[in-house]
Amino acid sequence: MPGLATMSLDNMFCTRCSDGFEPNEKIVNSNGELWHTNCFVCAQCFRVFPEGIFYEFEGRKYCERDFQVLFAPCCGKCGEFVIGRVIKAMNANWHPACFRCEECNMELADAGFIKHGGRALCHSCNARIKADGLQNYMCHKCHGVIDGEPLRYRGEVYHGYHFTCATCGVELDHTAREVKHRPGYAANDVNNLFCLRCHDKMGIPICGACRRPIEERIVTALGKHWHVEHFVCAKCEKPFHGHRHYEKKGLAYCEQHYHQLFGNLCYVCNQVIAGDVFTALNKAWCVHHFACSVCDAALSTRSKFYEYDERPACRRCYEKFPAELRRRLRRAHHYTVRR
Amino acid sequence: MSHHPTVSCIPNTGKMSKAKKVIEEAKEINNPEIDLVDKGISSLDEIPSLFTLENITRLSLSHNKIQVVPAALANLVNLEILNLANNHIQELPVSLSSLPKLRILNVSLNRLYTLPRGFGSFPVLEILDLTYNNLNEKTLSGNFFIMDSLRALYLGDNDFEFLPPEIGNLKNLQILSMRENDLIEVPRELGQLSRLRELHLQGNRLVVLPPEIGSLDLASNKSVLRLEGNFWVPPIEDQLKLGPSHVLDYLRSETYKVLYSRHMSAKPPPPAQTLDKSKKASRAA
Repeated sequence: MPGLATMSLDNMFCTRCSDGFEPNEKIVNSNGELWHTNCFVCAQCFRVFPEGIFYEFEGRKYCERDFQVLFAPCCGKCGEFVIGRVIKAMNANWHPACFRCEECNMELADAGFIKHGGRALCHSCNARIKADGLQNYMCHKCHGVIDGEPLRYRGEVYHGYHFTCATCGVELDHTAREVKHRPGYAANDVNNLFCLRCHDKMGIPICGACRRPIEERIVTALGKHWHVEHFVCAKCEKPFHGHRHYEKKGLAYCEQHYHQLFGNLCYVCNQVIAGDVFTALNKAWCVHHFACSVCDAALSTRSKFYEYDERPACRRCYEKFPAELRRRLRRAHHYTVRR
Repeated sequence: MSHHPTVSCIPNTGKMSKAKKVIEEAKEINNPEIDLVDKGISSLDEIPSLFTLENITRLSLSHNKIQVVPAALANLVNLEILNLANNHIQELPVSLSSLPKLRILNVSLNRLYTLPRGFGSFPVLEILDLTYNNLNEKTLSGNFFIMDSLRALYLGDNDFEFLPPEIGNLKNLQILSMRENDLIEVPRELGQLSRLRELHLQGNRLVVLPPEIGSLDLASNKSVLRLEGNFWVPPIEDQLKLGPSHVLDYLRSETYKVLYSRHMSAKPPPPAQTLDKSKKASRAA
């Protein structure tokens, strides 16, 4: 039925150029859209799709090559386009098989990776490298890697061989000691490096707490030398900073903790006894708080007093006690004296 | 004596003016410590100016004849030490227990038969002396053992037969005197008072001690343990002859634990009361 064919041809237009079709012309139909065969080409290179394969992106069709050039990610290792699963890592795209540990070449796509110094590493290689890397200091003078222990000087690390001992001139290694300040020396003399032998001969005291030399203020106590900030209460670990300390069994305590631990709180005020202590009846008093427990009259340290439930009672109060109580107290006193 | 008020008051008038003088002087020089000891005071209402001394920290009223402690005494809110020893007090006002700074309260040598309800609510009380009164476990106030700031409790010369197990709540207690009561038993909870350094149990009717007492630090040279004048089972009595530290050693032994549990299940009748308390001054009407 030509009429019908003609009718339909009149209503059909090419999707690209909007022109109609000649009656016997080949028409490309792609998903209901119609094209001249010459119009059905790659949006980038205007060439026919090889083997009819095209890629559609944002309504435009591309040949495989142009689609990859324009839109497909490039593998960071082999440079080929990545079709299918793309691994996005280290600011690049990778074929799963190309993204591997830079130490042991293990595939990382599924195992996961750790970035270390700009390199992607598997967990075990990262752990190994990190452990190795701890010793690898960079010399502040020559910028070379330091094998083993560095020499530390003015807060930086160096190869020991860049320096010599300020006293004997011997080449130094990491055991060299930096002396920042010494009494009797001008400021120009400070911050010198010494070999261990010369340093020991200088007689710089060693802190009893941190075992490091003491170059500033020294506290001497308990038969040892201490950094001021390292001489601390054995209980609260606060430095004494020149405040009075109390010694017990080779340890030093602040006033508060010495009394808390070893007694000598006043029976009356329950505070640490700052001045002289009066001790009697298994108790301690501030001298000015020692008083009769019945009438509160102050007792001098030489006053005669009676013991009453291990507390002092002055003579006047004792004599005001009921006679039968005095009798019992007397009997109890004889008992304790006999014992 | 209280039934001869006119007789007792006449010779005291001289002393009374002395009391007023003390208060006037204290006011003048702003003395925070008031001594009104042995001034013949029979009622604090005779010296109303006392209640205006709001700044005082210590008030000593020992050796007077005070029968009633007015509730208004609690207006002296700065009091830290209140000493009412050796008076004729039969009752205390509960208001005392609201004194916010009271650390030491001495009501020894009085005639207390009871304590007011709510007596235990002292916020900072450290030393409580109730020696030589007529108190027992039944007449203590209900909240007596909530005073956990207490470091010394003197209950000697009273009439306790039992010590309530709530004594274990007084965690800061360092001194406990139960000298010359009628104690038949002491509770195991006494062993929880880990800071206890002085324990007076002499002159009671005790036969055994809970083994828990053995864990207390009562044998050091700063400690006091008084046990004499009881009815101890022979092994304890034998150890006591060697010294209190030997008793503590013995209390910790397995042998003693067996003896104690046997004794507690057998519950033999307690020893008879031996102290004649009728002559006690605290019994005077």
